[in-house]
Amino acid sequence: MKRDTEDLGRRIERLLATPEYLDHPLHVALGQLWHAFLDQSARLERVTHISDGYQSLAKQRENDLDERFQKQLRKLEKLARISDHYQRMMQDLNVALSDASNRDVLTGLANRRHLMHRLKEESERSSRSGQPYTVAMLDIDHFKQINDTLGHAAGDRVLVEVGRILEGSLREYDLCGRWGGEEFMLLLPGTTPASAQVLAERICQRIRDHACAPENNLSISASVGISAYRHGEHYSETVERADAALLEAKRRGRDCIVLSAS
Amino acid sequence: MSNLTISGSQSTPAISGDWEAGVLTMTGDSYPENSFDLFNQVIDWVERFLADGKRPLSLELHLLYLNTSSVRAIMDVFDLLEDAHAAGHPVAVNWHYDRRNERVAELAEEFREDCTFPFAIVAHD
Repeated sequence: MKRDTEDLGRRIERLLATPEYLDHPLHVALGQLWHAFLDQSARLERVTHISDGYQSLAKQRENDLDERFQKQLRKLEKLARISDHYQRMMQDLNVALSDASNRDVLTGLANRRHLMHRLKEESERSSRSGQPYTVAMLDIDHFKQINDTLGHAAGDRVLVEVGRILEGSLREYDLCGRWGGEEFMLLLPGTTPASAQVLAERICQRIRDHACAPENNLSISASVGISAYRHGEHYSETVERADAALLEAKRRGRDCIVLSAS
Repeated sequence: MSNLTISGSQSTPAISGDWEAGVLTMTGDSYPENSFDLFNQVIDWVERFLADGKRPLSLELHLLYLNTSSVRAIMDVFDLLEDAHAAGHPVAVNWHYDRRNERVAELAEEFREDCTFPFAIVAHD
């Protein structure tokens, strides 16, 4: 196309320069037409050039925007990732805190707060289903003496050992915990006082057999009071009856089990 | 030519910028009501410091929990450091953590990704 235009240009330049055509009526018109054509061509060149400039500017800006967008996207992904990680950390911390708040530090058993929570749940379940549950309070005999003569570290070891025996004696859905001091509680769903007594006897035997005050082989025993939940009562009444039965066991000379009258 | 001092609270880190020493320290948890207000001061301070010659700047971070907007603010600060580093400005980050809390180190590592300036994760007992 360009070559065609150049060839045409040369031909027209030649024609316009030829002397015998100078007086021809078309000579002036051709000359003017040719200059108009050259003007238009030059203008088209310029417009195209400017247009190309704009286009490459727009393209450049698009690339910059895309680069910035990709960068922001990467940043956002990183932000989400790190933020999720912090959130998981918080959740794990919550679980750990909740666990710690329900556990007795020394024995690792359920603490009083957790026992109370489960007592409330079991009372509600029992009221709905009519299935009874039993509470056994177990207290280590002459514990103060162990602490006073052998020291608190020895007392702590006895508590840990008794806790281990309790834990090892229970079914999966039973719960044992430290109610306070040297007093432990067993919470036995779907259990009658009679079967609770059998379990308590087994536990007391294990305590006599295994839980020795370490330094002088002093034998350890425990007293137990058992009560059954009565339909419609508050669990604190069940616990009070178990406590009263435990007191009775102490009064009878310790190392024995007393069932609360149902 | 000014120090930055923001006292910490339960939800905001203690922040101190020592202009002479070129050290910016942040300590504690960060989940402020308005993290934009809080960290704008930090970003301003870092920008002013970096614009004032080429003295070394180091960040000493003892951060524990950060909420999302705080994470973003810290990333913005690191972006400033990254640009400064690319321009030949000596900058560094030391992220300190308690050895018992390994997850803080994992998080610091995630922050460190794509940072090319010196970034140390320092365990303490």
